[in-house]
Amino acid sequence: MQKTADIVIIGGGISGVTIGYFLMKHGAKNVVILERDYLAAGATGRCGAGIRQQWGAEMNCVLSKFSCEFFENAADELGYRSDIEFHQGGYMMLVSSQKELEQTKKNIALQNSLGINSKLLNLDEAKEIVPILDTSSLLAATFYNKDGHLNPFHTTQAFAEAFRRLGGMIYTDTNVTSITVENGLVTGVGTNGGHIATNTVVNAAGGYAQQIAEMANVELPLYSERHNILVTEPVAPILDPMIMSFSLNLYCQQVPHGSFIMGRTCADQPRDLRITPDSEFPREMAKTITKIMPRLANLRMLRQWAGLYNMSPDHHPIYDETPVKGFYVAAGYSGHGFMMGPATGQIMAELILGLTPTLPWQRLGLSRFEKGDLIHEPSVV
Amino acid sequence: MRISEHPILDFNQGRGAQITFTYDGTSINGFENETIAAALHAAGIFTLSHSESGRPRGIYCAIGNCSSCMMVVDGEPNVKVCVELARDGMVVRTQETRGTLA
Repeated sequence: MQKTADIVIIGGGISGVTIGYFLMKHGAKNVVILERDYLAAGATGRCGAGIRQQWGAEMNCVLSKFSCEFFENAADELGYRSDIEFHQGGYMMLVSSQKELEQTKKNIALQNSLGINSKLLNLDEAKEIVPILDTSSLLAATFYNKDGHLNPFHTTQAFAEAFRRLGGMIYTDTNVTSITVENGLVTGVGTNGGHIATNTVVNAAGGYAQQIAEMANVELPLYSERHNILVTEPVAPILDPMIMSFSLNLYCQQVPHGSFIMGRTCADQPRDLRITPDSEFPREMAKTITKIMPRLANLRMLRQWAGLYNMSPDHHPIYDETPVKGFYVAAGYSGHGFMMGPATGQIMAELILGLTPTLPWQRLGLSRFEKGDLIHEPSVV
Repeated sequence: MRISEHPILDFNQGRGAQITFTYDGTSINGFENETIAAALHAAGIFTLSHSESGRPRGIYCAIGNCSSCMMVVDGEPNVKVCVELARDGMVVRTQETRGTLA
């Protein structure tokens, strides 16, 4: 392992590889990514992989729009020889109550003002897009055709390969064991493969970001929460958009291969680092998903797994330099770090290299928690 | 092909009543308490489905694990015929690539 680096990124998930790629793209040299297991082994490879721009907070709209537009051109920009499987079948957000309808209308007005042309659908229009939808418990739906889903493994690989092509180094199976700090300045990273001296470290460790921060005696207002997903056997394509319902607390998509991937937030999940699957989850998931798509009752579930949401106090990411000089954090995505990947990369490159901000990341720093300047997001599962 | 004599097992004792079902429109005779796959094999039918690339798929694990024997039974896709018992009047069809819902 090399002995020095200009910049060391901790974490080989979507954030680590996008940060690495955008740093190199903007002229950084000698950048290293350290990954404890393999690329996308953590939350990235375990996520629902939805790409949505229909948010209730302007910040999320702006970050996800930037990211979605990047994904649209990712094949060309990253020069990936395989396919990241970006399926822009849209996101359909189901509306079940009057209260939800009012929030939805506000969200659509906000989204439209930002160039996200989502629209409200009546139930007939919704059923036209998703013929297997049982609309009897619904009031309406919203739809934006540029939303969709993509393959997190291929996407991570695409960024990783582009990063390597620009001269970046990735060490997998490399566990960070210490972060050295001298006089308030980061000076290196200790790993099971040796020590790397550096004055810039980026904490992109996802669900483990608070643990990594502790190694430098930095306390972050983050915790990790277990979330479950299941996958079914594949059938011919029948569900074009990603489906989401806040009232039913679920999301569901059919990947290009034909499997359905679905998840929901279960009550009383452990707030530690456990990713053992929850035995109650498949039952609850099956019960709720068949309310809106009864035909799925005949599908076999293949397996389930769990991953970590890295939760911040306002459900928005933290992009900042910590009180330790040269030690940066990009974490706290609260369940939507994958879809924000390109924005994360661009923002951290701007932050670390001192570039002119093109995205409004100044509001996403650590100081917002001291000042009480939180960003409210009304629309999350 | 059906085993009629076996040094230990007595097939004539345990065999159920004769039943009839259709396979891609053709009438097939089987017995109660045997699987669809067993009845089809006895009738010389080894191709149960086709993969995406068009290759034939047949019985492989025979214990409901491998998903190699999935057919369309009474309109339901992805039925594992190696563990699904044959019933009188069933409509069994070859599954072309992935099954279709709805």
